[in-house]
Amino acid sequence: MRVSVRLYLRISGEILITLGVVVLGFMAYMYWGTAIREGAAQRAFAGQLGQQWSGANQSLAALTNPADLALGKPFALMRIPRFGARWQFAVVQGTGLPQLALAPGHVPGTALPGMIGNFAVAGHRVTAGNPFWSLPSMRAGDVVDVETIAGTYEYVVTGKPQWVAPGDSAVLAPVPGHPGQAPSRRMITLITCDPPWSGTSRVIVTGVLVRLLPRQQGIEG
Amino acid sequence: MYGWIWQRLPGGTAARTVQVVVLLVAVGLALWFLVYPWASLHLPFDQAGVG
Repeated sequence: MRVSVRLYLRISGEILITLGVVVLGFMAYMYWGTAIREGAAQRAFAGQLGQQWSGANQSLAALTNPADLALGKPFALMRIPRFGARWQFAVVQGTGLPQLALAPGHVPGTALPGMIGNFAVAGHRVTAGNPFWSLPSMRAGDVVDVETIAGTYEYVVTGKPQWVAPGDSAVLAPVPGHPGQAPSRRMITLITCDPPWSGTSRVIVTGVLVRLLPRQQGIEG
Repeated sequence: MYGWIWQRLPGGTAARTVQVVVLLVAVGLALWFLVYPWASLHLPFDQAGVG
């Protein structure tokens, strides 16, 4: 009996230590692995967009039809100077975990960049390159550039970040915060989670379009 | 558990050590490239969507 108790204790100890190592490995993956995966995808997305935009087929100069967007496919480059000169992420269609693992995602059903309504983009606070880590530090007047095939849409943040409940879909409304109202302005809404790692609440930042800088042929934006 | 595996590996100490290293690397690669990517898309960490 005594021998078998010691045997069981040893085996369960080995299993527990093994599980601990596996969980530590998962934490390492969430910190570094997801960033590596996202970095590789972002490089591929930037290459795809560069090819699309420099291609001869410029007849469809604007991105106006939501049907042009395919789930998980990139269609825009987002730059936020507040986050640093090198901060740039391709934006893909869709906000499921498989999409957000590779890029900030456009909320399906919301407006496209530059359109009247609300262009809503969700991104991870942590993991996948931490795209929206600094979202709560944004302030009124901060610039959000969204480059599409049509050119660069320059949005300016209109107020402080707001904290909302995860189910508060009013922030996605064409007039943010006022579902049912008919939109007249061209808005942008950025969404991430707070506190980091959790699903407890969301931080949102809202901006309004101030101008479109058209694409210049032959000059990289 | 690990003693049981060690006893069943063929060869001397050196050969067994090599096999253990190969096994550990294989398990590590399977976790990093298969299990963790799958788990990261199914665990509710850092939910960013609304509605």
